[in-house]
Amino acid sequence: MAEITRRRLLASAGAGAAGLGLGAAGGFLLGQESADASGTGTGTVPFYGAHQAGIDTPAQDRLHFAAFDLLSEDPAELHELLREWTLAAAEATGGEMIGEVNEVPLAPPDDTGETVGLLPSSLTVTFGFGPGLFEKPGLGLAGKRPPALKPLPALPGDELNPAESGGDICVQACSDDPQVAFHAIRNLARIGRGTVAMRWSQLGFGRTATTSRGQDTPRNLMGMKDGTANIRAEDTEAMERFVWVGGEGPEWMQGGTYLVTRRIRMLLEIWDRASLTDQERTIGRHKYSGAPLGGQEEFEPLPLDREKNGHPVIPMDAHVRLASAKENSGARILRRGYSFTDGVDESLGELEAGLFFICFQRDPAKQFVPIQQRLGSLDALNEYIKHVGSALFAVAPGAQPGGYVGEGLFRPDR
Amino acid sequence: MTLKMLCAGTALLLVLSISACGSSEEAPAGAKTVSFELTDAGCEPHDSEAPAGPITFEAENTGSSKVTELEVMDGETILGEKENLTEGLSGSFSLTLERGEYTIYCPGGDDERGTLTVTGDLKAQNSPQAEKAVDSYRAYLEENTNELVAQTKPFVAAVVAGDVAEAKQLYAASRIPYERIEPVAESFGSLDPRIDARENDVPASEFEGFHRIEKALWEEETAQDMAPVAKQLQADVEELAAKVKTVDLQAVQIANGANELLGEVSASKITGEEERYSHIDLVDFEANVEGAEAAFEAVKPLLDETDPELSGEIEADFKQVFAALHPYRQGNGFVSYTELTKADTRKLAQSIDTLAEKLSQVPAAIASSEHS
Repeated sequence: MAEITRRRLLASAGAGAAGLGLGAAGGFLLGQESADASGTGTGTVPFYGAHQAGIDTPAQDRLHFAAFDLLSEDPAELHELLREWTLAAAEATGGEMIGEVNEVPLAPPDDTGETVGLLPSSLTVTFGFGPGLFEKPGLGLAGKRPPALKPLPALPGDELNPAESGGDICVQACSDDPQVAFHAIRNLARIGRGTVAMRWSQLGFGRTATTSRGQDTPRNLMGMKDGTANIRAEDTEAMERFVWVGGEGPEWMQGGTYLVTRRIRMLLEIWDRASLTDQERTIGRHKYSGAPLGGQEEFEPLPLDREKNGHPVIPMDAHVRLASAKENSGARILRRGYSFTDGVDESLGELEAGLFFICFQRDPAKQFVPIQQRLGSLDALNEYIKHVGSALFAVAPGAQPGGYVGEGLFRPDR
Repeated sequence: MTLKMLCAGTALLLVLSISACGSSEEAPAGAKTVSFELTDAGCEPHDSEAPAGPITFEAENTGSSKVTELEVMDGETILGEKENLTEGLSGSFSLTLERGEYTIYCPGGDDERGTLTVTGDLKAQNSPQAEKAVDSYRAYLEENTNELVAQTKPFVAAVVAGDVAEAKQLYAASRIPYERIEPVAESFGSLDPRIDARENDVPASEFEGFHRIEKALWEEETAQDMAPVAKQLQADVEELAAKVKTVDLQAVQIANGANELLGEVSASKITGEEERYSHIDLVDFEANVEGAEAAFEAVKPLLDETDPELSGEIEADFKQVFAALHPYRQGNGFVSYTELTKADTRKLAQSIDTLAEKLSQVPAAIASSEHS
């Protein structure tokens, strides 16, 4: 029997999906039509390459991010996990079903099935390794630890919940279809069962960053344009300078990068009660145009030195001022965050929502950490946000077909 | 958090008789008039001057087919304009401008851009009622900073003497007057963090003030090494008491301060983060709400004029909040935050959110009656 695929089901939905019932078959057809009509969902991002996908890929609309604790200290088990995860991620990225056993009547299918009939939807799966991985004696990876993978120091304003922080391995799945991203995390967690346990996970429902010149600047949940000054992937010089690890890193990390996540809870009820003027002065931009205060156009440079009546036009504690490269000795980061909501905060009856901040950089100690040290103590925005989760991962370079992500961890040092 | 300047991000301050920042068709009382003629050459005069404050711009097309529009711009932002002034037509608009250079833009003319130089300081002229609001709130402010100084003294003395039990007894009383007026304290730069920073707000070396001592008393169970911190705290609250005497206040700021106090309740009191060692968060909660109520009462006569219905609703909501707090009273104070269930805090948070949503409408509602 020919192996079924997500695409073949699409092409002949009636026949291929007969066993799943008519309703499901109708759903496949609908999925195909709407995907084709809107032009979304059709994108496929190559899994293999010099860099892992999901970093310089134009930010997709949806996220499912998961951090795992490694249960085993056996290097062979980790080795096998990474090999299996790589294959599964490559299959899912290509819009194929995961695994071999999907049509054996007496066996549970390898692929959990919720993406059958869905297009690849620009899925990317990105793997990272946390500091804890290098601290497990049994794994023997202490010598492989990159000096830049230092745990983040305590940062001003942190209200971190350990249950939403840290992790030995992370998987970032981004897609234009939330179910495709969810499917990737779910199936990887299933494959890893026994070797890893999910520590925390985060769904993101809307991108809050622009990582490509072809994209408009999205708005975060405060209704403000976010990421206007972000690094664009087309700016290869900035990517080399600020994102990709070069000769300063250990060999297995060259072409990789470091990923910082921060779960930032927004106190939306308080923000919503702030006047338009307060909101704009907190950020330093006009709410609707996204232009810097006093300006007209979103992309005009920040007039940081401009004064009016002896007061800076952009307040000294405005978020854009403190986060700007100019005020941070030129340091920049590639932001790739998502808005989230996880229902209602049980103890407040308020929306549990905010920004799941993700950034990539060459050296967190020189980029994210000093920037956040300033923001955490001075930013006017602190009145409306709380950093409740935090994690750091070393993102290995991309794999080539036949290889797997993180294989450099097991290669002897030259 | 600071008392924020209204519309200071743009060149406009309050446009009289209009609640938002924008241009007005009506000429406000006392406005200076600057007149321009639209000609093929551009706008005449090319360069002009006016004192800071309300300015009426008059434009008349005295025979130009090329120029039919006059705009006042701050950089690239259009602050006000009159369009479609064909030959023989005239029109006017008013703006309130701060000191600075503005562009008079007359598109189509030979020289499209002239300069308007605005000189002098813009003085907000408060209405008598707004003055009364400011005076009454200032009295409240001084009463509370005086009490803060007075209540901090015995607390500091107990800490310096190493009397942990006594210091714990006196701690709450010194917190109350501070929590009532916190937004004003926050307008004095580093004074608020020195007095009131929580441990994770500042670098470890800068952790001082009330909460450093709170940590020592409740968590470390000792006042050892706290004498210098306590003495500095006394000096800081005295500095605060001196500074509030000269603080510049406006009715809209006072109303904003009330909102900020409720924001404080939502962000850090209802979550138990403010008093994380002593757990007297409900004491701060009540003080914040009392402070917000006092600020609201000060501006209420202004609101009664513009929106009596809102004013009545807010009064009722304050009563609701105090009623919601009532079950947690114990002796002179409140039960420990640790005794609250999630259902309890949820109820309290919701009562604050309901009040705060309405209170946040006050600044815009009173802006129109703030000035004379």
